[in-house]
Amino acid sequence: MATKELIICRCEDVTEAEVLAAIGQGATTADEVKRLTRAGMGHCQGRTCRRLVNQMLARNLGQKPEDQRQVTQRAPLQPISLKVLAESSD
Amino acid sequence: MSNTSDAIIIGGGIVGAATGYYLAKAGLTVALFEREFLGSGSTGRCIGGVRQQFTSPGSIRLMMESVRHYRDMEQELGADVHWHAGGYLFLAHDEANQQAFLANIAVQQAAGLKDVRWVNAAEAKRIVPDLDTAGLLGGAYCSSDGQAYPFAVVNGYAGRIKQLGGRVATFSEVVAILQEGGRVKGIRVGGGHEHYSNIVINCAGPWAKDVGRLAGIEVPVEPERHEALITEGVEHMNMPMLVDYRADGGYFQQYKHNGQFIGCYTPDPLVPGLSCDSSFEFLTQMPRRMLKLVPALAEVKVIRQWAGSYEMTPDGNPIVDRTELDGFFVVAGMCGHGFMLGPAVGRAAADFVRTGDRDPNIAEFGLRRAFGSREAMK
Repeated sequence: MATKELIICRCEDVTEAEVLAAIGQGATTADEVKRLTRAGMGHCQGRTCRRLVNQMLARNLGQKPEDQRQVTQRAPLQPISLKVLAESSD
Repeated sequence: MSNTSDAIIIGGGIVGAATGYYLAKAGLTVALFEREFLGSGSTGRCIGGVRQQFTSPGSIRLMMESVRHYRDMEQELGADVHWHAGGYLFLAHDEANQQAFLANIAVQQAAGLKDVRWVNAAEAKRIVPDLDTAGLLGGAYCSSDGQAYPFAVVNGYAGRIKQLGGRVATFSEVVAILQEGGRVKGIRVGGGHEHYSNIVINCAGPWAKDVGRLAGIEVPVEPERHEALITEGVEHMNMPMLVDYRADGGYFQQYKHNGQFIGCYTPDPLVPGLSCDSSFEFLTQMPRRMLKLVPALAEVKVIRQWAGSYEMTPDGNPIVDRTELDGFFVVAGMCGHGFMLGPAVGRAAADFVRTGDRDPNIAEFGLRRAFGSREAMK
């Protein structure tokens, strides 16, 4: 499959070619790929693509997985409506 | 690569990137050093609003300039920064706010901002049909205020710096500022690499005080934690940024380019320090505040919360100035308005650094001013 058609982040429709372009532009971390392409910024917050992006960084830049800087995980773990949150007690 | 540049910028947020861009555009070789990645500090954590409704004539005119830069930015930077003039609506629910807004509008119009006006509750409802106008007296509305996408802006400026022959070093924390005989000579990054220049500009945002101390210069900037959240994208509702100054109010808008709602509020009490932890209190409070104003958003889902630092000065206005150390400048303390002010402040700062001529609009941003007055529209 052509790299332009291969979807890495399916929430934000980010292709393999776009991630490779970000790496080509100088991105060395998943954080930078995320800011340049929006991979990981969508509905699932990177649940699927963050491993793929890290693999691509490792493969293209010779990084060891254990040395890679991980993106910050934040709440909520899954999307929650404003109404449900508003009715929760803090 | 050469280890000497005409100017060194410390900080890869919008202020550093814009200042560096305007210096490079004027022909200087620029080296920018960022401790993490571009936009990793305050810029990438902001909610992307850009307004001209300030309270001092200098800031109003600077913001009018920033809006002009945002309008032209796609062409200027060759990047789609998602500029959208969706407007800002400040809501007044009591007489005191109404009077304050009316006074501000007079100052803003006198400064040249012609499309800001008072709207009554019925007009506010026409602008935002889904707005709950219970208790609303009206608001201050400016349709030429807008929004842009912070990451595209900061990366766009940095990309241009590189195209103009400059250098952008990420994951390069400045650990020392080199000086000799009362003049700045350059910087050293962690790892020992030194880079030399007779001009070093502290654009370190919430770290501006720490960077100043590396040079022995006191910079009165203190970080303050502000939280934010963002929702999934939904159909564009064409509403302006809503600003509610009540104790249980907040600020939020919808991005035109992808339909996400993004919002924040100023906590009471304030939370000093560099922490970017997020709280469950915010995650439940912010939705209440949004739904109080726009109940129709009830089923829209929150996908992420985070926090970032405002970089506060004692009077709520920025610092753009030279220092007691010759060649060492400070462009920092944007007080939560860096993304708005960045383009114009970067332009004015670059001109000041190059020529020594101070744009009248930054005249009040001296490093050793009395810090007595206050910017009211936070």
